[in-house]
Order: sequence, then C-alpha cells, then structure tokens
Amino acid sequence: MKYIFYFLLVFALPLRLLAESSVSDTQTQVNTLISGSDSLKAVVINSLISSEKTEVYPLLSAINDKKLFMYNNILITLGEKQTSDDGTEKFKLLEVYPEFKELSSNDGKSLYLPISELKEVEFSRSSRLLLAPITPYLNLLSPEVEKRKLAYSQFQGLKDKSILPKLYSALAHEKHQEILRLGRETIFSIQLNSSPEASHKMWTDSLTLNWGPNTQSILEQYAAIQSNPELKNFASEKAEELQSKHERLRMFQNLFSGLSLGSILIMIALGLSIVYGLAGVINMAHGEFLMIGAYTTYCVQNIMSPTSDLFFWISLPLAFLVSGFWGFVIERLIIRHLYSRPLESMLATWGVGLVLVQIARSLFGDLTAVRTPSVLSGGWEVVQHLVLPYNRLFIIFLSAFMITATYLVLYKSRLGLQIRAVTQNRRMSSCLGIETNKLDAMTFFLGSGLAGLAGAAMTLIGNVVPDMGQTYIVDSFLVVVTGGVGNIAGSIVSGFGIGFLFKMLESFFQAVYGKVLILTLIILFLQYRPKGLFPDKGRIGED
Amino acid sequence: MKKYLTADSLFYILLIIIFLIVLPLGNILGFVSNNTISLWGRYFCFAIAALGIDLIWGYTGVLSMCQAFFFCLGGYSIAMHMLLSATGKGVYSAAIPDFMVWNQVETLPFFWEPFHSFGLSLLLALALPALFAFLFGFFVFRSRIKGVYFAIITQALALAVWFIFLRNETMLGGTNGLTDFKSLLGFELSSPRTKLGLYLLAFFTLCGTYLFCRWLVNSKFGKVLVGILDSESRLSFTAYNVVNYKVAVFVIAAILAAIGGVLYAPQTGIITPGRMDVKASVEMVMWVALGGRGRLKGAIIGALLVNYLYSVCTSLFPESWLYILGILFILTVLFFEKGFWGLIEMLEAKLTEWSPVKGSESLKANV
Repeated sequence: MKYIFYFLLVFALPLRLLAESSVSDTQTQVNTLISGSDSLKAVVINSLISSEKTEVYPLLSAINDKKLFMYNNILITLGEKQTSDDGTEKFKLLEVYPEFKELSSNDGKSLYLPISELKEVEFSRSSRLLLAPITPYLNLLSPEVEKRKLAYSQFQGLKDKSILPKLYSALAHEKHQEILRLGRETIFSIQLNSSPEASHKMWTDSLTLNWGPNTQSILEQYAAIQSNPELKNFASEKAEELQSKHERLRMFQNLFSGLSLGSILIMIALGLSIVYGLAGVINMAHGEFLMIGAYTTYCVQNIMSPTSDLFFWISLPLAFLVSGFWGFVIERLIIRHLYSRPLESMLATWGVGLVLVQIARSLFGDLTAVRTPSVLSGGWEVVQHLVLPYNRLFIIFLSAFMITATYLVLYKSRLGLQIRAVTQNRRMSSCLGIETNKLDAMTFFLGSGLAGLAGAAMTLIGNVVPDMGQTYIVDSFLVVVTGGVGNIAGSIVSGFGIGFLFKMLESFFQAVYGKVLILTLIILFLQYRPKGLFPDKGRIGED
Repeated sequence: MKKYLTADSLFYILLIIIFLIVLPLGNILGFVSNNTISLWGRYFCFAIAALGIDLIWGYTGVLSMCQAFFFCLGGYSIAMHMLLSATGKGVYSAAIPDFMVWNQVETLPFFWEPFHSFGLSLLLALALPALFAFLFGFFVFRSRIKGVYFAIITQALALAVWFIFLRNETMLGGTNGLTDFKSLLGFELSSPRTKLGLYLLAFFTLCGTYLFCRWLVNSKFGKVLVGILDSESRLSFTAYNVVNYKVAVFVIAAILAAIGGVLYAPQTGIITPGRMDVKASVEMVMWVALGGRGRLKGAIIGALLVNYLYSVCTSLFPESWLYILGILFILTVLFFEKGFWGLIEMLEAKLTEWSPVKGSESLKANV
C-alpha cells in the first residue's frame, strides 16, 4: 500500500497537475516544453495538438522542422539565411510564442544571429513524430516559402469547412504577396465547394477577382460537376474570361521576351556590324570578346567583397575596356593583315576564337557564375500574372544605351565622321588625310568593347562558361546579314525583327523548328533583298 | 633532259607506298594494329570530303560552312541501313533499332522504310545531299548571295540542322546519334578483315574521287570555276551563267562529302550530331586551308595531316590541341596562303632554280 502511495506521488501526481494546467494555462505548457523531461514534452505536445489552438502552431511548426531555439528567454525559430563577408552564416530570428513575429535589434532592423549564439530546444524523435498528423497545417507557418506554397496548394479542392479557421489564422501572418493570393484562392475554393449554393456566385466572383495560380482549373472543375445550370454557366464564363485574359498577357510576355532577345542580338551585332563595315572583316571571334567581358565581371566579383553589389556596376565599364583592349591587340597583331580578304579573315578569327576559348578554359575551368545584384533580381509585376524580370529590363535598357551611344559616336563625333568616310571609300579618305591605320584599331577597340559590355550584361541571364560566345553568335551573324552588313540601323531593325519573330514562332512550334523556320524566312527574304534591309553604300563586298 | 623526281611524283609514290603497301601489309603481318588501319581509313573519308571543299572554296572561292552536314547525311543514311539490317539481333530483339525502344516508339517511322535495302540506302545517301544542295544552292546563288553572306547563311544552316538532329523526336537517335552497328552486306564490322577491306575501299575511293576532281578542274568546267574565283562579274558579262556553275559545284562538293560520310560511319561504328555542328564544318575548311587551297593534293594532305596531328596531340597533351589548331589556323591564313602544299611547291621551285641541271638547260636554250 505504501509503495502504491509513493508511486502515485512520484508518477501520477505530476501527470495530474499537468492535465489541470493544460486546461488552464498554455504558457505553463510551453514552459514545460522548454525544460520538461522527454515524456512530459510528449504529453504536452499531445495536449497542444488536441486543443487546436492556432496560436501555438508556429511553435509546433518550429519543433516539427527541428528549428526551435531559445534566445534571451524568447522562443524563436530561424528565418532566411544571410552569409556575411567572412563566410559565417546568420539567420533571421522569428519569435514563435506568444506572438509570431520577427525579432528586431535595438535600431529597429531585423535581427540576424549565427546558430552558435542560440540555444537549441531539443525534442526526441518520438515526440516530433506526434506532430506528423498535423504537419500540413504546421507547414502553413514554415519560414520556407516553397513549403508554405505546397501546404496551401494541398488544401485546395477540399470540401471540409473545419480547416478554414486554421487557414485564416495562418494567412493572417502571411506577408509574401504570391502566397497571400494562393492562400485566399485556397480559402475561396473550399468555401465554394462547401457552402450552400446561394453564396456560390459570391465565391466564384471572389476567386476571379483574386485570380490565383490555379483559379481557372478550380472554376472549370467546379463547372464540370455543378448540376445547377445557372451556377455552372456562371463559373465557366468566369473561367473563360480568365483564360482569354491569360492569353492576352502571354502574348504581352512573348512580346517582352522578343524585345529582350532582340536587344541581346543587337548588342552583339552592333560591334560586328561596325567592324565589318569599316574593315570588311567578319569577326568570328566576336563571341569570344563577349566571353572576355563576362569573365571580367566574374573577376571583379571575386576581387571585391562578395556581399556588395557594387562589383557589377564597376565591371560594366571595365568589361568594355578589357574586351576593347583585347580587340585592339588582336587587330594590331593579326587582323590588320587581312583587310578586304573577308573569307580568309573569317578563318583566322575563328582560330583566334579557338585560342581564346582554350585560354579561358585553362584559367577558369568549365563552369562559373556571377551573382545577380539584388537590385536586378526579382521582377516588376505590371499586373497580376505579368512579371517582367528586372535583369531582362536592364538588358533592354543597356542595349538602348549602347545603340544611342554608338549612334552619337558615329554621327555626332569627328571619329564617327572619319569611320563613315573610310567605310565609304578607304583610299579616298586616306588621300584626304585620315589615318586609316589608327582608325581601324580604334574601330576594332569600339566593336570589341561593345561585345564585352554585352558579355557583362549576359552574366545576368546565364552562367559564365568558356564557349558562351557561341550561343548567340550565329544568330547575330544572321541579324547582321539580314540588316545589311555594316549598317547600324539595319542591324537594329533586323535584330528586333528576328527576336520578335523567334519568340512568336516559339509559342507555336518548338524552339528548334522556330529556328529552322526563321532561317528559311531569311533566305526567302534575301531573294528579294540580297544585300539586306538597308544595303551598305561602301565599296566593300563589291567584286 | 627530263627530271623524274618532282614533288608531284613524290606525293604519288609516298601515298602508294605508305597507304597501299606498308600499312595493309603491316596489318596482315601483325605489326600495324587494326585500330591504326581504321583510323587512317577514316582520315581517307575526311580527305574525300576535303576534295569537295577544295573544289567549291579553293577553286571557286565560295566558302561553304555546312559541308559537315552533307558528310553526316551520307553517314546517317548508311548507319540507318546498318541498324535496320541488325534489327532483331539487338538487346530487345525488337523489329526496330534499340534506341527507338528506349524512346517508347513502337513502329518504324515511315522515312526509315527505304533504308531496309542497301542499294536504296546508298542511292539516298548521295541523292539526299545532292538534292538538298541543289535546292539550297539554287535559291541562294540565284539571289546573288555570295562571299561572307553565303558563308554566314551556310553556317546558320549547319546550326539549324544540328539542332534538328539533336532532337529525340526526329527519330535519328538524338544526342547519342546512331551506333551499335553489327554488319554491312553480311560482313561482320568487328572482324579485322572487314576493317582492312573498308580501309582499302576508302583508299581506292579517295584515289577515284581525286582522279575525278583532277579531270574536273582541268576541264573547261574547272577553268570556269577558277574564273568565278578571279572575277565573278567579268565572267557573267561574258555570257556565262555563273549561277549554274556554282550550283553544280556545290552539288558535287555535297556528293563528295556524302561519299566520305558513307565510308566513315561503318569504320567508326558511331555517327552523332557532334560530327555536323558548326565547328566541324569550319574545321573541314581548315584542313583544306592548311593543306593548300586550290590544289587537290593540298586538300588530301591537309585532311590527313591535321587529323593525324589531332590524334597524336590529344593523346600526348590533350589540353593543348585547341591552342595548336588555333595557332595553325592563324599562321596559315597570315603567312602561308597556299598552305602546306604551296610551301612544298615553293621549296621545289627554289631547288630547281639552284640546281646545275636547270642552269645548263637554260644555257642551252640561250644557245
């Protein structure tokens, strides 16, 4: 009897006390979670789950993700990661209980700390497993964007109203625009599927107004199973409305991609075109000057501090200079011997390209990448579902800048006057006192520099690899040929033309067949205008 | 007094001694490996294609940068025949080539059907490139696209068709190409005898095509080609239809490339789109440039020499091959416009100038 009493005292009494406290005070329970024994923690977790109190869900979510820590006696979990200059990793701190919010330091900024300064609150695997049944709800509050997205989409299409309170309370914490829209879509779709018919039109309208990523298919599915003809028609009308809206936006997006591709092609073609016009040399190594520009950006990034975005802006003019310098050297050494021997110069410059690619490969290895500056990451959401990436926008602006600058140099400066004179008649210009030799070198510097600048910009949309110049170079040749070799205006018109046409064809066919079709179109076009859109007026190319 | 040992005759003698006597005999006696025989057999195929490039670029001055595509059209045709003749013996014992089984294709695509027969395959291997070159050449040359324009257009063509062959849905094996050939006309491809036979076939075909090209360039047709190189407009003013000549030489070059491809595929055992990318075509042109453009022997020597150099360099110092090739390109274009063969001709000319025989001859003539 005595032993039984002791038994009660040691084991049963705390359990009894605990059971009482679970009814009365969540805070006490949470305290037990921090300092209690494993078995107590399990009991508390169980009772928290069954209580269905949404305010403790962030806390449970942190336990579930194994990311519950103590900091200054506050329970916190880890938010986004930040890597500082010396390589240490710091995390944003999020308080989980009693409130779910970001912690801020004294100056009001978000607080970032390394894990080493935090004390982990540990849980046994078995107690974490208790959370498995409600993991989908807990993920609604996960600090990771992708997890939250997945969690919300998992609830779509349910017909059960009982989860709505959890969704509402989770969505109240949400700040991410895209997930907010997805979450609302989830709630409206559950409402639509589970509410009485009288309110269906309202929920359909809400869904349409909200226009999340899956709205169209939700409405279509609803219309497919709805027996009431009025509601059915209403929903399918709305779905069609969204469909046509979506198509219009996609066309706009295509136009934008075309503009972006066109400006890339123009950036590359500008330099090619100037050099050919002046010297009659098609520079097959032009793509490699682009590569040099990209590697310049890469080197600047590595030299400067890795967190600062300044490197990109510095590397733009630097890429111009470095590529231009290489172009200058190669012109002096090799290409000046090949003027007005266009076919031979194609082969020699191809050789130059081979050597340059191999140099890059020995120096840098096969695959490197440049970080996108934070200003240029993300995109501008013009309207819902139409996002224009900043890096593409930047490339379009840069190419506009390059076109303007080239135009100003060619048509408003003394150098440009001389370049145009030599393009028209080399010997006559020479007789009139233009130092054609010097001018050739200058032009080559300009042309290669433009390619380098394009290369620096290209790091925004792709990796930096030794043969990156090859990707667009043949297309740029086509741009130059279609526009009329040696003609800037022609290059611009044909660059945008080919860019748009390609993206338009790509939306109907696969990219490859689009390419083949474009080639056919260009050959047909050259039947009527064998010298391109705007034939050059120079002496080069005549027999 | 007649001089017997000219560079020309030395070329023929060396060619016959090395490739018709030393290598095959050595192979039969066992001190030349089968691998070496296949390797040189393949180089002969390249040399045949190079002859075509020399005709169109060296003699006519039209730079075509899609010859590797024609080469591969020939190669793929014969490869398709070899795959079809081996169906049922593959891993899956299916009536279609293995790679189609992997791609979940059940019936043979219609355009594979003609390749069941060897004769038809051979015909198509040559007719397809010829037809393609005719159509493409006709439209391009008719609109007076020439020089750099033509080079760029053909380069774009090479890129476009390369993309098409890379695709899986075109049923040509995608990136992996066609491989795993078993036999050709009943001869086991893996046996040394077949390898030697193919080698000799390639050699004699090279000799045959060389003789044909020599006859061609010495004929009136050849003179017109050189006329196009020198001044196309003057030639057309004298009532020659330049377009017809250009189309004709483009078709001939395409057929020569295709012949090379037909002989190449069975000797290599694989043909992939990598053989026809832009790079491959430009390299083919470089063989001719390095060997000596405008000289048929130059094209042959260029193709053999560059490829031999390639296999030596890639095994000795793999990193440096692109440096060597690139620098050779540049040096040749800058300093040796007539290539390797031009260099030999120059040396020969210098030697005869100095030799006493020549001196006495000229004395006699003066007398």
